[in-house]
Formats: sequence, C-alpha cells, structure tokens
Amino acid sequence: MNFNHQIIIVGGGPAGLNAAKYAANAGADVALIDSGVRLGGQYWRHTGDEALDQSLHHNFDQGSLLIDAVKANPRITLYLESQIWSASVIDDSIVLRTSKDIFITKKLVIATGAYDRSLPFPGWDIPGVMTAGAAQALLKGSGVIAGKKIVIGGTGPFLLPVAAGMSSHGGNIVGVIEAAGKAAWGKGFGALLKNPAKALEGAGYLNTLRKRKVEMRFRQAIVQAHANADGVLEAVTIANIDAGFKIKSSYRLSCDVAAISWGFTPDNSLAGALSVKQRVNCDGAVVIDVDSNQRATHPNPAIEIFAAGESTGIGGSDLALAEGAIAGLAAAHSRHKANQLRKLRSKAQKFADTLFKVYPIADGWKSWITPSTTICRCEEVKYQALTQARETLAAETPRDAKLFTRCGMGLCQGRVCARIVSDLFDGDADERIRSNYRPIIAPITLGELAEEGLL
Amino acid sequence: MIAFTFNGEEVPAKEGQSVSAALIAHELRINRHTRINNEPRGIYCGIGICFDCLVTIDGVVNQRGCLTVVRSGMIVESAK
Repeated sequence: MNFNHQIIIVGGGPAGLNAAKYAANAGADVALIDSGVRLGGQYWRHTGDEALDQSLHHNFDQGSLLIDAVKANPRITLYLESQIWSASVIDDSIVLRTSKDIFITKKLVIATGAYDRSLPFPGWDIPGVMTAGAAQALLKGSGVIAGKKIVIGGTGPFLLPVAAGMSSHGGNIVGVIEAAGKAAWGKGFGALLKNPAKALEGAGYLNTLRKRKVEMRFRQAIVQAHANADGVLEAVTIANIDAGFKIKSSYRLSCDVAAISWGFTPDNSLAGALSVKQRVNCDGAVVIDVDSNQRATHPNPAIEIFAAGESTGIGGSDLALAEGAIAGLAAAHSRHKANQLRKLRSKAQKFADTLFKVYPIADGWKSWITPSTTICRCEEVKYQALTQARETLAAETPRDAKLFTRCGMGLCQGRVCARIVSDLFDGDADERIRSNYRPIIAPITLGELAEEGLL
Repeated sequence: MIAFTFNGEEVPAKEGQSVSAALIAHELRINRHTRINNEPRGIYCGIGICFDCLVTIDGVVNQRGCLTVVRSGMIVESAK
C-alpha cells in the first residue's frame, strides 16, 4: 500500500521515539517506521517479560513510558517489522520502500542508530566470537546467555552493562578485558561523576561485577581466537598491549564466547541512499552533518531531512533523546525555542566527547592481523588478498581494494568491513563517506522486486 | 515452550525468542558453512547487520536468524 505522512521518522530507538513524540505533540501527522518487532531500538530492546526487562535495564521505566506515550498518541502511526530497502527523491518527495509498502513524505527524520564497530583479528569469524551488542541482544531480546564461559573485551563504558547483565543473570564471566589503561579508565569514570545519573548507573555495574568476583583487566586485548575440532570457539589469546595497541606479551584463556565491543559505527545506509551530506567525526566514524536544529543538508530545497541520535555521532541515549526532541520540533515547524533541550544536548555532547578521548582506539590493532585473517566476512576475503592487490595490482585506495578483492561487496554491503578497509588503506574523508553509499539499503529478493513491477 | 527443527534435530524454544537465540540456548553455535571456504559461522552482530547467521526457514533461503522470531513447528536449515 501507499502511505503519505507529513513527517516520517525512521528508527524506533530513543532518538526516533522522542522525535515522534515531540513532533506529534506539536500538531504534526507522524509515521514511525522500524524494522524490529517492538519499539525501543537496541538500547531499550526488551522481551515483553516485565521482570526480565526491568532487571536488564538501568532505567527501563524511562523507555517503557516513552514507548507507551508514542503508542497512545493518535497523531502517530506505527509501522513495525518494516525494513526499508530503497529510498529516493521522486518529484520533490521522499519515497521509501519496504517489501510491503511505499511511504511518501516531504519531511524525514533519520534515527537509524548504530551497531558495534569491529576490529578484525585471527579467528574473529569463529562461531562463539561475537559483538558485545550481540551478547546483549541475546539477553535483552531473548533472555538467553550467550555461552557457559564468557570473556568480554574491547574498550569503553558499554563493556560494563554487558558484563553486569550477563553476570547477574547467571552468566559465567571469566574476564572483562579493557584496552584502556586503568588510570585513563578512571578518568572516564571521573567524567561519569559529573553526571549523577550516569555515575549511579556505572557504580551499580561495578558493584555487580565486584560481588560476582568478575575480574577487570586493563591494557589488554583479545587478539586471537581458537576453534576446537568442531570448529567452534574454545579459547582466546589475550595480549598485554601498549598505549598504541601493539602486543607486548600474551596468554591463553579458555572460553566458549568472546563478546567484543570497540565502540559503535552509525548505520547511515538510509542517509547514504538519499545523498544526505555526511562527514567524518572525531572517532573516524561517518556521520550525518546536521545544524543546530538537527537539519541535514540535501540538494533538493523542496524536502526537509533531519537526523538525530547515533546517526549524527555516537553519544549515547541522553544525547539521542535531546537530539530526537529537537529534530521532532524542528520538523513540525514548532515555534518552541527548546532552550532547555539545547542545554541538555550540549551537556550530553560534552560527555560523549570526553568518552572518545578516554577510550581511544590506536592503530596498533593492525599488527594483530595475519595474512590468513578474514577481513570481509561476507565474501571471505583474507588479508593476504588485500596485500596482494596492493602489491601486484597497485590498489591504493579502499575503493581499489573493493574492486580487486570483492571486500565489502557481500550481503552486508560493507557495514562490517568498510571502516576496517578504510583504516587499512588510509582512506581519506571522501572515500570513507563514499564507502557508506549503498543504493540498496537492505537486500531484497528478486521475487519481491518482481512483485513491485521493478523487474 | 515451543519447538522447531534445525537440520532435522528438534530444538526447544521460548515464545518470542529469535531463531539464533534459541539455537545458542540449545548449544547449537554453527548456523551455516560459508560457500567459498566452507567455514562455520554463527551469530556475530546479533542485530541484523552482518548476515552471518543466515538460515533457511520453511524453504525460504537467506533469512537472518537473529531477526526472525521462532514459531512452533518451524523448519530451519543451515543456509547453503
């Protein structure tokens, strides 16, 4: 079916929910589209089992109240389980397609969130190695602990809720491996203390880990994974690293799950498909460039595109909520100046900027890679194929690498490896932004295309 | 509890769980083998980004196990 709405918001996490609420309260007719079964996004992913959901979220009330408010608002139409596969501007309107429906609007709010950033290492494609976000989604969305002997690694504040959540629900966490040094990590906690709510949340996780005797190890990283005869994870190699992430010494730790988080990458496939202006953020991530009203830049003056949340730069839920509210008001052309929201946004932005400084990811991870290490998981491109392309085919840029080796051309369309290849080939800003351009947002079957009359 | 089959083996699951989560809970970690090097793959990103946990569900190929909610009697097979 075809649906026309005054404002369409894509993404039902904190930013999209708040954008919908504020735009609808300002009088606009709003549609909220999400690919998931339930609202909440990754942050407020839940099962519907109240006790479990409450126990897994630091402040689930905030999320469930917002979700309820959005569901109850007569000006908001919800479209769940709606994965957009194509977006284009046709006759001065934005046209979004799912396999079922076509959505048409003049005003779009992009709130598509982020996913875990991966760093490759030997064995990161062995079953049992997963992102920390995957371990978290298994627990928050399905009530399942990822394994029997779990090691958590990477860097940043996200390691704590993942470890505490699994541990307090019976998971056996054999170590939390943090790449930052203890002093730097403590500085991050100092920044946390300036935000009382965050300080309380962080202290709660630490208390859980202490009670359950979960050990945190600093200036270490998971640098290799080992499979057993069945082909699944049986151990990891953990290295003591220097500040540049180079390996100093290493030891082996047996485990059946390694859940790893190196921060996040915005999912800006929708922005890329619509040629919305993007830029490279201080952490190297490609983000949507927005003004003080969360308005993005698009060459067609007949349409308005806004962006909020992680798609404009990784910053966490408080920042996403503030940005979502401002985007919603601006899209609805509200006269509200939203000074309080702007103050909240700037405070949350400062906090996010501090975290980038405390948990830097140094280039030394490139030294963990061996010739047989997988770089592109979809097309099974090994590192040696990339070095060969560089040495014998004169591949100089990430784009050359892609054309010669097929890395980034599989089903995920480079969502996992494009940033890695950009780093390995020292891609400049333009190349990083271009690697984010995917004409097809999500794979679609030929049958669905035929039904649309497009074949 | 409900049940579905994975490569012919009966797997119990809770209502509302994803296919990949139910497989993990039953200690089935390998969703498929890759088409070029025949390498085992399981759940990786867990949120529909990476397409590593692909399975065939009731004859429909290339379904993401992490995004599909289990239904009673579902026939799930490793993606080819």
